[in-house]
Amino acid sequence: MFQKIKQSRIRFVFFFFLFLSVCILIRIFYVQVVEYKRLHALAESLWQRNLPVTADRGRILDRNGKVLATNITTTTLYIVPNQIVNKEETARLLSEILECDYDAMYKHVTKRTSLEKVNPEGRQLDSETADKINDLHIDGLYLMKESKRYYPYDTVLSHVLGYVGIDNQGLSGLELQYDSYLTGKDGSIKYTSDGKGNRLTSNEVYEQPQNGIDIYLTIDIDIQLAVEKELENTDAKYTPEEALAIVTDPNTGEILAMASRPTFDSNHYQNFDLETINRNLPIWKNYEPGSTFKIITLAASLEEKTINLFEDHYFDGGSINVEGARIKCWKAGGHGAETFLQVVQNSCNPGFVVMGQKLGTDTLYQYVKDFGFTEKTGIDLNGESKGIMFAKEAIGPVEQATISFGQGISVTPIQQVAGVGAAINGGTLYTPYVVKYLSVPETKEIVLENKPTAVRQVISEETSKMVREALESVVSQGTGKNAYIENYRVGGKTGTAQKVNNGSYMVGNYIVSFMGFLPADKPEYIVYVAVDYPKGVTQYGGTVSAPIAKNIMQNIISIKGIPPSKEVTRRTYTWLDTKYYEVPNLVGLTKKEVIKETKLFKLEYSGSGENIIYQEPEAGTYIKENAVIKVMLD
Amino acid sequence: MKKIDKSLFFSVILLILFGILMIYSSSNIWAEYKFHNPYKFVTAQAIFFGVGIFLIFLLIRIPPDFYKKNANRLLFLSLIFLILVLIPGIGSVRNGSRSWFGIGSLGIQPSEFSKIALIIFTAKYLAHNERDIKSIKKGILPLFLVICVFFLLIMLEPDFGTAMVIILTLIVMIFVAGPNLSFFIKIGLVGLFGIALLIAIAPYRMARIVAYLNPWSDPLGSGFQIIQSLYAIAPSGLLGTGLGSSVQKNFYLPEPQTDFIFSIIVEELGFPGALFVIGLFVFLFYRSVKIALNESDLFKKYLVFGLSFGILLQATLNLCVVCGIIPTTGVTLPFISYGGSSLLVSLISVGIILGISKKE
Repeated sequence: MFQKIKQSRIRFVFFFFLFLSVCILIRIFYVQVVEYKRLHALAESLWQRNLPVTADRGRILDRNGKVLATNITTTTLYIVPNQIVNKEETARLLSEILECDYDAMYKHVTKRTSLEKVNPEGRQLDSETADKINDLHIDGLYLMKESKRYYPYDTVLSHVLGYVGIDNQGLSGLELQYDSYLTGKDGSIKYTSDGKGNRLTSNEVYEQPQNGIDIYLTIDIDIQLAVEKELENTDAKYTPEEALAIVTDPNTGEILAMASRPTFDSNHYQNFDLETINRNLPIWKNYEPGSTFKIITLAASLEEKTINLFEDHYFDGGSINVEGARIKCWKAGGHGAETFLQVVQNSCNPGFVVMGQKLGTDTLYQYVKDFGFTEKTGIDLNGESKGIMFAKEAIGPVEQATISFGQGISVTPIQQVAGVGAAINGGTLYTPYVVKYLSVPETKEIVLENKPTAVRQVISEETSKMVREALESVVSQGTGKNAYIENYRVGGKTGTAQKVNNGSYMVGNYIVSFMGFLPADKPEYIVYVAVDYPKGVTQYGGTVSAPIAKNIMQNIISIKGIPPSKEVTRRTYTWLDTKYYEVPNLVGLTKKEVIKETKLFKLEYSGSGENIIYQEPEAGTYIKENAVIKVMLD
Repeated sequence: MKKIDKSLFFSVILLILFGILMIYSSSNIWAEYKFHNPYKFVTAQAIFFGVGIFLIFLLIRIPPDFYKKNANRLLFLSLIFLILVLIPGIGSVRNGSRSWFGIGSLGIQPSEFSKIALIIFTAKYLAHNERDIKSIKKGILPLFLVICVFFLLIMLEPDFGTAMVIILTLIVMIFVAGPNLSFFIKIGLVGLFGIALLIAIAPYRMARIVAYLNPWSDPLGSGFQIIQSLYAIAPSGLLGTGLGSSVQKNFYLPEPQTDFIFSIIVEELGFPGALFVIGLFVFLFYRSVKIALNESDLFKKYLVFGLSFGILLQATLNLCVVCGIIPTTGVTLPFISYGGSSLLVSLISVGIILGISKKE
């Protein structure tokens, strides 16, 4: 009996433990199959190490492939806290080298994480600092390459380019606007590590970083540099409140150069106030344009044939009365009897009022609208202003009169450049743009391309030709003389705009501007310069801005190698001006004949023969009176 | 010449050889790192294996009556050792327990040896007091007092795992001896009442117990090893990563050749590996139970059952810990885990069982 109990209890224990063993096997099966996914993911996160390999941000280049924004390689410190044996000592040494707080560094060193990026103290280290850390030979410190944005031209074009933050994220300008294209996809070195953080050789995956996409601009950096240099000189010479300049191709709307003063350095944006950084003046600033706006009135009048430049006359007595308001001409006493061409050349305000009156409010407004002044141009840059325009219903006779010569409305420089571009390019309004195309750096594959966008035909080619000629005569014979360039055909219009403060015009504080283009018969470049409140000078567009625009245009001529024009509209001279004369053809003449032909010039001979075989400068160019012509004898 | 149970003998040899292979696989990186000798643990285990085989052949020749006669002496000796080991300077501390007599890098755990002495003593006591076994006062209480003294001494080290193995083994031995089940129900009720009282006094203990049972509640503390063990078992899948290619042995699972060697076995050899090990243990127990059932002498019956059950219980506890069923207890996997003391005690048990298994 007793024996039986013992036997059965032994059997019971055996079967009970047999059952337990089956339970354990089921549990193992359960863990390996049901819990597999969860535990596998957790274990992977424990084993896997990801050392980041940062992608290069896409570059920004000018139209000729010159680099405007690129990346330089710096070093960033990473810590694997588990691998650091002496945490206090490591934190102390690092805080000394990086010149930062010990406690902050101690936090990095002791953080409960598999990989700690020492941010911001250990970011973007120069090679000297990196070497010092490397020389410590402490396990658990890793120096990884990281790229840093670099703008080789510092302050040049900074408003257009913008800048990036410490993580290479775009914060303004094109950097912000095209951030998703410019940002590459970071790669990594993935490997399984052992519990001490060392690499297990078995498997290592290198995920190549995908570099960002390059942006090619319509900007020509050589022209941009010339513009920046001129604004630099302007700043030094006149200490204006602000200054700006734009160069565009009127046939496409491409922006070739765009600059503002004050400006900032994209590399060190922290040193500049946000207002300076955010205001890209050529598209942000809006003000009464003044006389440059007369180009629009002129183009409209010619298109509508309400005036004949040569045959219609106007007598300027110094002012005009519009509905009881007396609108004065800038010239005291007026210009007297003028053809309308002379009205344009003299920039005569009453004359333009009459032009506006002849058009009528509706037509004038329609042209203002068609030339793009009632809305943003749609340039592919952030921060464009719209300007201020009267509602059509609010335009009375006085308003209509002031609009005719560019007062009472507020427009942006880019609107003016686009509108004038349409007036002189054959009549088509183009949307201005700065981004030419986006391309993958490795394959050169084009991801996105901007083509010239014609908004509308505003005036006819014929009218446009007349506008060009009229504006060329402004430079050769009118208020724009200071922009005249020998042997080249330059058109343009000056502007002197009054500034409004608290609802009334300020005294002695003007925005002086010049809108020029070149060559006048077939414009390829528009140059617009505006200087806000220049000091120590007569504040006229003709005296301040025209010479700046002229310098810029001369730079363009030499940069682009533009040949002199064959036919040139002669400039008229006052007795003060140096006179220019055409060089006659001397080749083939004899020495004696030559002397007779060249009374106005000095001659320099080389060779000893009698017949001229070569001359410099060549025939047809204009040079100063008494300048030297070199001739070569056979 | 009498025959021993050969299948039992060879299944034990198979387990140990398999263990030696897995000790090498799991410990070579750790040994290289710590001792600059990847063969450090595997050689030590092989030497103990040799000594253990020698001991088995020695023990087979000792008549079982020898243990019966010397049961009291053996128990007294192990009591002395258990007291000595608690004295600083004599006993040395390893892994937080003062439970070792250190001899160089080798160590002897007196608690392991006291397990055998207690099983012998209990077997003898139960066989001698067969008639009083139904009486709690006369029969079981005196035995219980002896067991409690040893339990307390081992808990002082503290070596919770070994203490649990010993006390459970002895209780199951008493259970087999045949007292009324009401006795065990009473013990169980007293235990449950005690726990309920402790929780009632301070309810936060309940949360403690739940947290203790859940390794994820303290992943860097008490749950660390179990979680690392699950990271070995689960991601490798049913077929394992293959011999030698465990990831977790690379410094994730500390001392992978000891208590948690089974998780490395499953990681490398998958479910088949687990089935192989568990199957051998069940077979080993099955053979021993068969010997016990066929034995008419009560002392021998109890002894064979007690010794083999001790081994199986320890294995079960270890596997339950490794699979995350119960919290860490600190017991090794018999025959397989690295450790001379543990291996020798297991082999002594096997030697005694084999000695009893001898048939005419």
